[in-house]
Amino acid sequence: MDKKSRHMRKWLPALAFLSLVSLFLGVYVGSVGVPASQVSTGIAYGVARALHLTTTSKPPKFFVIIWEIRLPRVLLAYLVGLALASAGVAAQALFKNPLADPYIIGVSAGASIGAAIASVYAPSQMGPFALVFAVFSVLVVYSAAKVDGNVPVDTLLLAGVAYGFMASAVTWYIILKEGERARVTWMWMMGSFNGASWANVGQMAVVTLLGTGFLIWKWRELNLLLLGEESVALGLDVSLYRKLTVGAIALLTAFAVSTAGIIGFVGLVAPHIMRILLGPNHRRLTPAAALLGGVLLVTADLVARVLSRPTEIPVGIVTALMGAPFFLYLLRKHRKGVFTA
Amino acid sequence: MRLDVDISFSYGEVEVLKDVEFSARKGELLAIIGPNGAGKSTLLKCMVGILKPRGHVTVDGADVLSLKPKERARMITYVPQSALPEFTFTIEEFVEMGTYATRGSVRRALETVGLWERKDEPVTNLSGGEYQLTLIARALAQDSRVVLLDEPTSHLDINHTLQVMELLRGMKEEHVTIPVLHDLNLALTYADRLILLHRGRKRWEGKPEELEPSVLEEVYGVKVKILEIEGERLLLAAP
Repeated sequence: MDKKSRHMRKWLPALAFLSLVSLFLGVYVGSVGVPASQVSTGIAYGVARALHLTTTSKPPKFFVIIWEIRLPRVLLAYLVGLALASAGVAAQALFKNPLADPYIIGVSAGASIGAAIASVYAPSQMGPFALVFAVFSVLVVYSAAKVDGNVPVDTLLLAGVAYGFMASAVTWYIILKEGERARVTWMWMMGSFNGASWANVGQMAVVTLLGTGFLIWKWRELNLLLLGEESVALGLDVSLYRKLTVGAIALLTAFAVSTAGIIGFVGLVAPHIMRILLGPNHRRLTPAAALLGGVLLVTADLVARVLSRPTEIPVGIVTALMGAPFFLYLLRKHRKGVFTA
Repeated sequence: MRLDVDISFSYGEVEVLKDVEFSARKGELLAIIGPNGAGKSTLLKCMVGILKPRGHVTVDGADVLSLKPKERARMITYVPQSALPEFTFTIEEFVEMGTYATRGSVRRALETVGLWERKDEPVTNLSGGEYQLTLIARALAQDSRVVLLDEPTSHLDINHTLQVMELLRGMKEEHVTIPVLHDLNLALTYADRLILLHRGRKRWEGKPEELEPSVLEEVYGVKVKILEIEGERLLLAAP
């Protein structure tokens, strides 16, 4: 057993423990004070009720706050964190570029247009609009980058950047033109878990299971993607796995964005922290980064809720304000660079 | 074990390889030589399927170009020109990357190149020569029938150069082994057979002892003398 896998035996349980702590705190802390003992009682009652195991008709105190408001919100933040961080790992492997962000293939750009249009014509349908436009945008970027049936990653990266500029021009045009009506788009673009429902949690759980599960399962292929075209000689169907990876990134980020808006930085910072700590092998990197992403987003959401009570700060602002300084600190500490940490 | 190649390849309108045809067997070291831009690297990339040539590449009669990458890697693999490692995989993880690598084959490959003891070190710790040996080990751990190597000795000091060439000499007993070599003296010393590429065509093929200076003079545009010293052939070039 090498040193890094010994690390892993320490890190996975640590991250799992941190996950539980952050989830608990996420439910415990909020604008209404809930006693810690009530948190577990409330969750236990909710689970029992969902499984039809209880006959008590009177729910415990604070049940609605715990079960209907905070728990779905916290779980959604956790799942979106898993999704964004694992998509970030995949994007960095696909583009062989430490700066690659899961949104680079057009998802956030497209989702913003969708949200801006919805804010004018169908304000209650921002999520579905964002989802449809996000998927459409990935398809546009991907087809634009296609050369002779292949998609060179550099071209894909450039196509994503170019499309992003165009899409943000359209989005800002709508926002400026529609004025007050389109203002909600701003808030949405900064990301929020406000109003999360169990339906959101269920949907995101399925998406994460499929997308993140696929990326964790295919760790060998992600390692080989780092080698580029040469990995053909080691048995990788490069063009197939590029497509599948783009598909997984698109699935994860499109649903994440459509349920919670555009939350930046988690997809960049969680993979890099784990890469510095555990090395580049995706066998360890993908699951570890995903768990860290979950912890980070639950924590960021907690901060977003309590910092300027009773109002909320968009969670995207918190992730950037918390994540960037820490990331800069890590960069300085590991001067060799992030990919060769 | 036998490899048969007959391919052509164009980048758009530009024909890079024209009807390059040859065969190779296990037990002989076949070196590909030729000036810069002759198409040597392109030839290897076509054979392993990184580029898509016209024609065929068969291993023991089976057309490998029509196989899926996974099955093709079983038949033929490739050691790229050594660039500095970009990622801090450990040596063992790095050699394990191939689809067919197993714990046993990784250990054997690393023992063959003498780096098993250092398997837990990051590849970024390695010198250029050691990194080249690790690249070869990664191909060996795949246990493919044919191993192609693109300039495996470029940038290496004389010690590592000879270490790599001795390694290839041992490999040829197990695999069809085909390196591209820039250093003509190494090719003359170690290869059992040579293929000289020039402007995308096979200009000459034969045993090292049959190579005439005039062919090299024509292809490289320099004056060439081949001396015999204590049974070894030594090539001298002058402008």
